[in-house]
Amino acid sequence: MNSIPSASEIDEEAADWAARVDARGLDVDHDPELRAWLKGDARRAGALLRAQAAISFLDRGRALAGAAPPVEAVPAERPSRRALIAGAGGMAAALVGGVGLWRARPQRLETRLGEIRRVPLADGSLVAINTKTALDVAMKPRSRRIVLKEGEAWFQVAKDPERPFVVAAGPVRVRAVGTAFSVRRGDEAGAGVDVMVTEGVVETWVEGDPSPRRRVAAGGRIVLASAVSPTVAQSPSEIERSLAWRNGEIALDGESLEQAARLFNRYNSRQIVIEDPELARERFVGLFQTNEPESFAAAVAATLGAVVADDAGSIRISRAHIS
Amino acid sequence: MKQSRAEIVAFVGGQILPHEADVRAWLRRSGSSAADIDDVVQETYCRLAGLDSVAHITSGRAYFFRTARNIAIEKIRRARIVRIDCVTEIDALNVVDDEPSPERVVAGRRELGRVQQLIEGLPERCRQIFTLRRIHGLSQKETALRLGVTENVVEMQSARGLRLILRALSEATAQDRPVVGKAHELHSVRKRD
Repeated sequence: MNSIPSASEIDEEAADWAARVDARGLDVDHDPELRAWLKGDARRAGALLRAQAAISFLDRGRALAGAAPPVEAVPAERPSRRALIAGAGGMAAALVGGVGLWRARPQRLETRLGEIRRVPLADGSLVAINTKTALDVAMKPRSRRIVLKEGEAWFQVAKDPERPFVVAAGPVRVRAVGTAFSVRRGDEAGAGVDVMVTEGVVETWVEGDPSPRRRVAAGGRIVLASAVSPTVAQSPSEIERSLAWRNGEIALDGESLEQAARLFNRYNSRQIVIEDPELARERFVGLFQTNEPESFAAAVAATLGAVVADDAGSIRISRAHIS
Repeated sequence: MKQSRAEIVAFVGGQILPHEADVRAWLRRSGSSAADIDDVVQETYCRLAGLDSVAHITSGRAYFFRTARNIAIEKIRRARIVRIDCVTEIDALNVVDDEPSPERVVAGRRELGRVQQLIEGLPERCRQIFTLRRIHGLSQKETALRLGVTENVVEMQSARGLRLILRALSEATAQDRPVVGKAHELHSVRKRD
């Protein structure tokens, strides 16, 4: 791809030079050929020193042939152990008290923009609700039924074979017995419903669609009722990363800045705008808090040489112009 | 006061290079990749090569760890992407274990054993030349005469041997796990023969 020599390639050349210097007694500071070689790459001086040092190190072996070896203790110098960088703050979501009452009518659970909630359900299941989401929970003697109106939620389902746990998202159905999975309704038309399974097995189908039901196991992901035909993809680490929101985090692993901005914008009224289309295509890696688009912008600025301009309504990131 | 090249080389050979395997092992534990470790180590020698004097360095081992740590952190900060594990990597790098291990107290004797093993691990012709040149202190001319070869052959074999030894030094984990490390060190030299 490029012709920059690796450290070990330089080491090899340096070994040749060090052997030559040793054999011929060259003057490192004045030999013109050696000077020229050293000038060619800043790293060569270090490699030559190392190679010469290796010869010098071996010369200590001369003592092996004769006198007893010198014993030397190296003075100790203890470094100050820096405190661990404080971990990112706790859960963004406050735990909402358990709902122990039997409910005949569906219970409505909602989150506002940027809000993430974890709610224990009456049957012992747990639901983590992502930003801007609405769902209805209906607990009946023979069934547990959740209707996802909009947004995204992750369910950890308490085992109860007598009462199937079914999540409905538009025409899509996801049924579980004892398992954990998330369901997300896309914002745009045709985006479909994204199902990610973190434990156990779920059964998915689309109401009115005659195709057979599909089983998706832990680590699997399926997008249903979208423009493209559904396929099950296995990507456990990808799923864990996609569900970082449960801890109030966004985990980026090579997403473009454009995609990253869209993720942050799901949580915040202050929208991130990438002003340069070329910059928007740059890929980024990092772990951020969903409610801190400013830290994301600062990290982008620091690593990609961008500038940030922000006001109450938006955070605009653009290329730094060389003035 | 400016020191001579020979003085600096002797210092690096005696006080820096013997700790290279430990610095590499520590960088590895901190999560650096092999290519990054090579670059960090090379850059450390580069900085030493830029010094007029090494008289101010009281502990070569501590200096090596500190410099390598600084370079590794600079590298992370310069990287175009901020990795998720960077925070922990920088943190791991801050736990510098540059204090002498129990073995280091008897380092002198151990080191000489290591030199012997390095030389013994070389291919036969290289080994003969290294033994005569480095252990018996013969000049290149004397070595050539003794072995009945040209000086050019001695020089070429010396360069070849030095390459192998440099590689062995960077691959060695002698201080990390003394027994296993020694065996590995020898093995890695022979393997390339």
